[in-house]
Amino acid sequence: MSLARAEKLEQLARLCRNGREGPPPRVEPSGSANLDAVLPGGGWQAGTVVELMPVSDGIGELRLLMPALAKITHSERHVAMIAPPYIPFAPALLRHGLRLEHFWIIRAQSAADILWSAEQTLRCKSFGAVLAWPQAIRDREVRRLQLAAETGDSIGFVYRPPSAARESSPAAVRLRLQTDAAGQLNIDVVKCRGARAGMSLAIAG
Amino acid sequence: MLWLCITLPQLPLEALQCEQSERPTLVTVLAGSVRSVVCCNPAAERVGLKPEMNFTTALAILPEAIALERRLSAEQAALERLATWAYQFSGTVILGEIFNDLQRARSTALWLEIGASLRLFGGFRKLIEQLETELRKLSYSYQLGIAPTLEGSALLARTGVRVAITTVAALRARVETVSVNRLNLDPWIPQQLQTVGVQTVGMLVALPRDGVAKRFGPEVCNYLDRLVGAAPDPRPTYRLPPQYQARFEFEAEIHSTEALLFPLRRMLREFVGFLRARDTGVQTFTLRFIHRDTVATVLNIGLSMPDRNSDRFLALARERLEHAALPSASVALELSAEEFAMPTGLHIDMLSGATEQSEELGHTIDRLVARLGETQVHGVKAVAEHRPEDSWATADPQDTRQHLDFPDRPLWLLPEPKPIQLSGMPALTGAERIESGWWDGGDVRRDYFIARTQQGSTLWIYKDLSDGSWHLHGFWS
Repeated sequence: MSLARAEKLEQLARLCRNGREGPPPRVEPSGSANLDAVLPGGGWQAGTVVELMPVSDGIGELRLLMPALAKITHSERHVAMIAPPYIPFAPALLRHGLRLEHFWIIRAQSAADILWSAEQTLRCKSFGAVLAWPQAIRDREVRRLQLAAETGDSIGFVYRPPSAARESSPAAVRLRLQTDAAGQLNIDVVKCRGARAGMSLAIAG
Repeated sequence: MLWLCITLPQLPLEALQCEQSERPTLVTVLAGSVRSVVCCNPAAERVGLKPEMNFTTALAILPEAIALERRLSAEQAALERLATWAYQFSGTVILGEIFNDLQRARSTALWLEIGASLRLFGGFRKLIEQLETELRKLSYSYQLGIAPTLEGSALLARTGVRVAITTVAALRARVETVSVNRLNLDPWIPQQLQTVGVQTVGMLVALPRDGVAKRFGPEVCNYLDRLVGAAPDPRPTYRLPPQYQARFEFEAEIHSTEALLFPLRRMLREFVGFLRARDTGVQTFTLRFIHRDTVATVLNIGLSMPDRNSDRFLALARERLEHAALPSASVALELSAEEFAMPTGLHIDMLSGATEQSEELGHTIDRLVARLGETQVHGVKAVAEHRPEDSWATADPQDTRQHLDFPDRPLWLLPEPKPIQLSGMPALTGAERIESGWWDGGDVRRDYFIARTQQGSTLWIYKDLSDGSWHLHGFWS
């Protein structure tokens, strides 16, 4: 993509940044070589918003992130969950290697509070990753979170209902999550900036 | 000694309201049987209204002008807040008098000795620049004068001479041509002088002292001596209070939260000036919104670490205020703080980047807590308990350091186990019996299983052994 073809301001900003000397964006390996091979930068990339659309609860939608989250909490940075649908169960978090001293739950209630909290935490450099469960989210709000993630050099994981996969979104990466017959997590790459969408891959649970 | 004088020509108005109103507004006072205009806002000046004008005349020109009553207590409170603020620029601050008379109502002054501060601030221009930047943020109209005497600097400020005069000789030369009208004397004296043809300070000084003293009282000669540095001018300095206590009386009841932000913003900036003067910060401060007919609303603003940033203070106070739902309109606002502590962030330069990061974490958590409430922002910890619902607890993330071993557990726990019907016979794996709690009344006997649904969800379910009922307790997400 050339400078002249950058349609959106954020694309332009990204191009300008890439042109300068500077560290490449931080990338957290997902813990799955299959998935890393698909994700831009080879893992969960800081400064981006990732949309996760599980077909139902309890298919491994959270486990998918655990290796990266555990690693982040063992660095100087923190992880926040905004309005999770259930209680993140501390004994399980510990078994997945999370350092709970760097883990926050933000129980925002209203749709506006959830997005505001996500934006505040993403923008804060102390948070390496923010997981949010908004009731609904519009393109404009995804873009705001995207900018906040760039500012804070953090990764925004936004959980959305499976129906959202049919709509478009400015998020950098959009993954639909389901299970195959054997009960393994299956990922459809709905969108992936800088890579080919439409792939499907299985992750060993 | 080198004095910087700040005069506040609009103080009678600005002590009552700090946002620029587009509606013509006057402050008036009743002297004897005549009501006169003390000062007016720019909107009123544009239509020809002037200070010292008869109020009846003003109303004839502009019947819809808003008239406020002059309130000396509000001016005194504003001047004291400003003096506290001014301490960040000088160790010696002197409060001027608030004059009752109409002619001098607009010459209220505040002095800062700046001779000793010049080096600290990197010279004259930098000091003045910084002072003016901060002063403008407080939204006061002001004039500055710099001279080696108190009355000299005040006179320069009132006449709008923006030149720093640093020697007594230069001051004497400078004031020669100033009109006697500008002198800080009882208003009848300049009037009398002018009727006898004495127009300028130079002409007044040339008159025989005895004659002047006999005719106008010894105070005039004494004043002239102090003006040009021929006599000492000792005055009590304003002492920085050990605790912070400030009050803002509103000219009218304030109903909306938005409108309260104007005085709040000014007060917080003045407060930060005080903190800079004391070279400290705060971790908690208190806002009291005074209502006319009901008890005050008290908001205690707490921060996760000491700070002295007025923007951050305002953001926190604003979040709290928007959720506070004040019971009625406010007539005054008080700000107080009793305990002070050095802000940690100020040492960032010397310490590692980690301090900087944790500091930003603190600010973000403060904002979240201010908006969502303290109970909504927390961490989780594991608890050594057999019953799954008791094997976790909310906690401050700092207090979660645990070394507990647990069997495999699902990442999602339901807040309450949910009764379910088992249709058909799903494949159940991972059987685990959990029995505990008879000693504290929470008797539990359950057989837990992992079950998979047709949609692919993996559930954590249990059979209650007391009645055979099935429950969903979590998701292996």
